Amino acid sequence: MSGGPPKALPSTGPQSLRDMPHPLAGSSSEEAVGGDSTPSPDLLTARSFGDKDLILPNGGTPAGTASPASSSSLLNRLQLDDDMDGETRDLFVTVDDPKKHVCTMETYITYRITTKSTRVEFDLPEYSVRRRYQDFDWLRNKLEESQPTHLIPPLPEKFVVKGVVDRFSEEFVETRRKALDKFLKRITDHPVLSFNEHFNVFLTAKDLNAHKKQGMALLTRVGESVKHVAGGYKLRNRPLEFAAIGEYLDTFALKLGTIDRIAQRIIKEEIEYLVELREYGPVYSTWSALEGELAEPLEGVSACIGNCSTALEELTDDMTEDFLPVLREYILYSDSMKSVLKKRDQVQAEYETKLEAVALKKEERPKVPADVEKCQDRMECFNADLKADMERWQNNKRQDFRQLLMGMADKNIQYYEKCLMAWESIIPLLQEKQEAK
Amino acid sequence: MFLASMTENNFSLKKIEISVSEAEKRTGRNAMNMQETYTAYLIETRSVEHNDGQSVLTDSLWRRYSEFELLRNYLLVYYPHIVVPPLPEKRAEFVWHKLSADNMDPDFVERRRIGLENFLLRVASHPILCRDKIFYLFLTQEGNWKETVNETGFQLKADSRLKALNATFRVKNPDKRFIELKHYSDELQSVISHLLRVRARVADRLYGVYKVHGNYGRVFSEWSAIEKEMGDGLQSAGHHMDVYASSIDDILEDEEHYADQLKEYLFYAEALRAVCRKHELMQYDLEMAAQDLASKKQQCEELATGTVRTFSLKGMTTKLFGQETPEQREARIKMLEEQIKEGEQQLKSKNLEGREFVRNAWADIERFKEQKNHDLKEALISYAVMQISMCKKGIQVWTNAKECFSKM
Repeated sequence: MSGGPPKALPSTGPQSLRDMPHPLAGSSSEEAVGGDSTPSPDLLTARSFGDKDLILPNGGTPAGTASPASSSSLLNRLQLDDDMDGETRDLFVTVDDPKKHVCTMETYITYRITTKSTRVEFDLPEYSVRRRYQDFDWLRNKLEESQPTHLIPPLPEKFVVKGVVDRFSEEFVETRRKALDKFLKRITDHPVLSFNEHFNVFLTAKDLNAHKKQGMALLTRVGESVKHVAGGYKLRNRPLEFAAIGEYLDTFALKLGTIDRIAQRIIKEEIEYLVELREYGPVYSTWSALEGELAEPLEGVSACIGNCSTALEELTDDMTEDFLPVLREYILYSDSMKSVLKKRDQVQAEYETKLEAVALKKEERPKVPADVEKCQDRMECFNADLKADMERWQNNKRQDFRQLLMGMADKNIQYYEKCLMAWESIIPLLQEKQEAK
Repeated sequence: MFLASMTENNFSLKKIEISVSEAEKRTGRNAMNMQETYTAYLIETRSVEHNDGQSVLTDSLWRRYSEFELLRNYLLVYYPHIVVPPLPEKRAEFVWHKLSADNMDPDFVERRRIGLENFLLRVASHPILCRDKIFYLFLTQEGNWKETVNETGFQLKADSRLKALNATFRVKNPDKRFIELKHYSDELQSVISHLLRVRARVADRLYGVYKVHGNYGRVFSEWSAIEKEMGDGLQSAGHHMDVYASSIDDILEDEEHYADQLKEYLFYAEALRAVCRKHELMQYDLEMAAQDLASKKQQCEELATGTVRTFSLKGMTTKLFGQETPEQREARIKMLEEQIKEGEQQLKSKNLEGREFVRNAWADIERFKEQKNHDLKEALISYAVMQISMCKKGIQVWTNAKECFSKM
């Protein structure tokens, strides 16, 4: 975009939904927007970052001066991006080996973070460091600061009600470890976030606290500029595609909330059922003690019910540890995504306001003032990043839920199989004929 | 269909089939001329021809629950040494929340119909009870049956002491087997009651677990509306969750049948106890009679020899008001000797009665034990089969759901 009066705002404006590409669609219909100031739908896919590079609003120069973390400068990273979807990944991160540390002031858990990478950003091919939850929290905050146009994965909940949940129980620690592992893996899979310098430091630094104290100000150009967007700009219209995303997220979070409540209710009912079973089984034992010929069959039934009780307990434990946390994670995820959407709105609002202000001035201007152009630049970057992340998020979400729900079905199948085996095994015992007296 | 042997006018034995085939709500007037609603049950008796196995309907009449009760009370009095089969419960007990405690509830009526049929089949298959005339008339004589039963005067014969469950008789030499058996019947009653109570709670909880899953159906459907690729998988999985939730109704209905089988033996325990009590009572009477005889003999001896060792009112008054005349004494001795003679006869027959009772009762108890072991084993097997079926259904539904999820 060079010269000429400011073009129509590159928002999608008042258009019928039908003409709008579905936020989940790849490159379906063409976005009916003003010219080439906005990336075409084709560029919503990860592959097209390079092309987008070339359609920067302020000229064709790739933003070589942009900091490495900006998505608009990923020319050479394109290759790696493609490869990440395939087999040649070049960064592997794992969280494991939780250990308890008891100090005078506090007790806490650390996890081992193992990194293997062939990337040039890493001096060594392999790293192994220990981190605690607050380090992860620091990382997430830094990512949010430095990559405000991207969706940052959520962390498992920070606060646990003491006395209700044992922070050091095996189950809790394991649940947390899995969530932290997921968190890092999501960042690893992200073509932009995985190159973030804070992430690198997190994975490699021997003494993270020293780095924290230095207060590394590795803010990207975009990041800094977004930071400077003061609130208070009012957005008139959220572009339909982002409005659709917003609506989707609202409904999504709502439905997940309902599923969470249902799952919790089921677990509660199952636990109450378990309590009754634990009283039920032993009564058969008591009866068995009164009988002669029936003693063995009754004892067999008692043992059988005991086995079913154990299987049920395993089911409820699994659901509590594996199912509920993932649901909650996604609710947190969609919450943080909504706030990113709001930030995007802010950026767009600032641009629109400034543009209008310029238009109102009667003076003839040779070209759009630089700062308005910068605003437009910011907005377009933001829009592109967000759309790309949304699509990635949708794909991952689908995989995650597919796995989660299949896992839930599996656990129930296993429960019933254990019970089936128990009951089938006592049939011969029950049918056994007593030896003729 | 069950086959039993029956006597008709004590002449011949026939093979018959009995069924309680229908239940009907009726209104009528009770003894106090007040309107009441009750249920009547249709009893059909068929005689089976030996050769071709064909059955012919020979009798068909309607009876209400109170008539069954009358029949049973009669049998209890006339066959105290038999473990008389119990009736299904009068009022619904051990209900979990979905079952109705209302006697007029169609499910309760249906289960009662089955229980009454079972009762008749039990009586008809009992080697001794099946020959009873009153039982025969119950199946064949609709009108006047109540009068006929009452004419037997069985209510007068009934020992009211047997009804007082908590009355204890201090028996010195009971047959140990009966004492043990009474203990067993008490414990059996207690354990089966407990079992039935807990089972009802288990059923309640299980119902809750299944039904909550139904909510997944709706929310998956709503969620699928905002999804593109995931939509179909979610929607169809939701349908399976609905199937899962509704499957529990049939499962628990089947389980009620198991509960009814247990209940029968809960009530059988009562019948067992009644036989033990009868023995206790007979033994008590015997011991009282023996004691009385011994005391009379003693008195007689004392009068004859002039020594007073035992306390007697006569002795006291004699001391206070003066000795009796020799004639008076002779008269008393003679009376006592008469009484002693009578008493010895009575004691002899009581002893005989007692021994016969023990013999007969024990024979029936052995028969009962075999029946109980067989029936309860069958009940446990069918319960296990029910559980297996429930597990298989569960596996099926979740496998289907998993398949749907895999297509997401």
